[in-house]
Order: sequence, then structure tokens, then C-alpha cells
Amino acid sequence: MMAMSKIVRTVSNLLYFFILIFGFYIVMHGHLTPGGGFQGGAVLASAIALIIVAHGIEKAKKFYSEFSLTSCESLGLVLFISLAFLGIFMTFFYNFLSPGAQPAIPIFSTEPPLGPNLGNLNTGGVIPLMNIAVGIEVIGGLGAIVYVMFRGGKK
Amino acid sequence: MRNAVAGVALLVMAAFLFYAAVEMHSFGSPAYSDMDDYFIENAQKETGANNVVTSIVFDYRGFDTLGEATVLFTAVAGTTAVFKKRREKK
Amino acid sequence: MNVDYVGIMHVVVLLIVLVSAYLAIKLKNLLSAVLALAVMSLLLSLEFYLLHAPDVAIAEAGIGAGLTTAIYVLAIRATRHLEGGA
Repeated sequence: MMAMSKIVRTVSNLLYFFILIFGFYIVMHGHLTPGGGFQGGAVLASAIALIIVAHGIEKAKKFYSEFSLTSCESLGLVLFISLAFLGIFMTFFYNFLSPGAQPAIPIFSTEPPLGPNLGNLNTGGVIPLMNIAVGIEVIGGLGAIVYVMFRGGKK
Repeated sequence: MRNAVAGVALLVMAAFLFYAAVEMHSFGSPAYSDMDDYFIENAQKETGANNVVTSIVFDYRGFDTLGEATVLFTAVAGTTAVFKKRREKK
Repeated sequence: MNVDYVGIMHVVVLLIVLVSAYLAIKLKNLLSAVLALAVMSLLLSLEFYLLHAPDVAIAEAGIGAGLTTAIYVLAIRATRHLEGGA
């Protein structure tokens, strides 16, 4: 499919980075503010869909490919399941980095004070890592669906 | 005949919906809240995450998220299989 | 006299959701129906936000109003634009 008009392309080029930054913010602050891996991944995939729709498939092929998107998805799922398996010495899905976990690993494991604190990223145990894994998976999966459907439709 | 059956079904369903709407709990006060109170009290201390929703989704109810990720993986696998480029075309 | 602005907002938003859902069913042009569905998703995410569920609102706005619309438009582009094969 051909690219859209110049106005649409310019505005989507401007908005692309803002949507990307908002999506990464939602993924990274998933354990502090509303949102998480799934929501942030959906926002990032909508940024990919915006670029593909505005610029057409020929130009988008230079940035994304089906292999990269689907391997992103598989990588995210493998990361998520292996993070779940890392706590297997207690149970499956054990939060082995949490403040009360017994072999104390000093990463992401400060105990936050009660109540809202919006800036302390170094909390949450294994939850931020799982957020990142699910974010990688969702951006790859939804982006691959839009990419493949855009490529496969007739002109 | 079909219209009568459909009308009876519509009436029964409307009656159940009205009953549910009348008997609905007011917003923010569910019937059973033992588990909710436990999460609100202890989630921040046990998992270390400020967002209680995320700590439930990724820690207490991790299997649910695993199933959701599996569903998404299956959907993407099906879509890419349907739209796969034909290799044997030449 | 204190007016319950949030309650009025609920009623207005849900009424527009009902109207746009009816339009999404009844419109014959499929592109217009998809746009009515996108409007319904966006207002539904506003309703989720009013009900103090901002994470569900983010997911609904990203997937329902963004990606689903794109996927439906891509599917319609490969077929006919009117309902019933006209």
C-alpha cells in the first residue's frame, strides 16, 4: 500500500517518539504507577502500527521485519518463564528478589515506605523484570499481527 | 412459535438483569472482601511494589499472566501462519 | 446544593457509548461502523477511568481504540466496503 500524504507522515514522525517514550514509561514504572507490561506494550505496538500505516509497508520494511518482531515475542515469553523458574527453590513464580526473601540479593529489593512514592524505581523485587519481559512480548506480538496483516492484504 | 419462544427468553433474561441491577452492591463495597483486605494490608510489604494491582498480576496471580501470555503467543502464531508468504509459488 | 458532576458524567458517557454501539451495528458502510466502534472503545476507556481503574483504561485505549481499529480497517481494505456484498 502506498504511503499517506505528507501531513500525515510529518505528524506521525513527530508523534512516534512521544508515544514510544510514554510506552517505555508505562513499562518501566509498572510497579509504581498504573499500567504494566501489557498496557505499555500495547501503547508501543500502536506506535509501530502508526508508523506502518503512515509510511506504507515498503518503507516500514527497513525498520521492522517479521522475523525481528516474532523473535521479540518469543524472547519476551522465554524471559518471563525463566524468571518464573528462577524462584523454583521455593515455588513457581516465587518473588525471589522481594524485601523479605531469604537469600538477600540487593537488586530491586529496597522495602518501600507505605503510601505513594512515585520515584523509587529500586523496589518491587522481580516485578519490574517481569514487566519488561511482558512488555517485550506484547510489543512483538501485536506489532507482528499488524505488520503481517498489512503485508498480506491485497492492494 | 419462534417469536413466542424468543419473547419468553427475552422476558426471563430481562427479569434476571433487573433483579441483578436491583440487588447490586453499591460502588466500592463488595460482598466478600477478606482477600482484598489482605492484599491492601500486606502487598506493599511482601512484594515491595507500590502498585498493588501489578503485584497481584505478576506475583500473587502469576499463573493468570502466564496464561494470558500464552494466549497472545498462540494468536500471533495463528495469524502469522495464515498470512505466511507462499514459498512454492515459482 | 451540591451537584454530582461525576454521576452526570457517567450518565452522559454511557449514553454516548450506547448510541455509538447502536451505530456500529446498524451502519451499512463498514468503515463508518469501525469508526463508531473506535469511538465506543475510547468512551469506554473514559468510563473505566471514571470508575478508578486507570490501568484498564490504558489497555482499552491502546488496544480497543488503536490497534483493533487498525486491524479492522486492514481487513476491510482487502474485502468489500459495504455490508451484504453490495
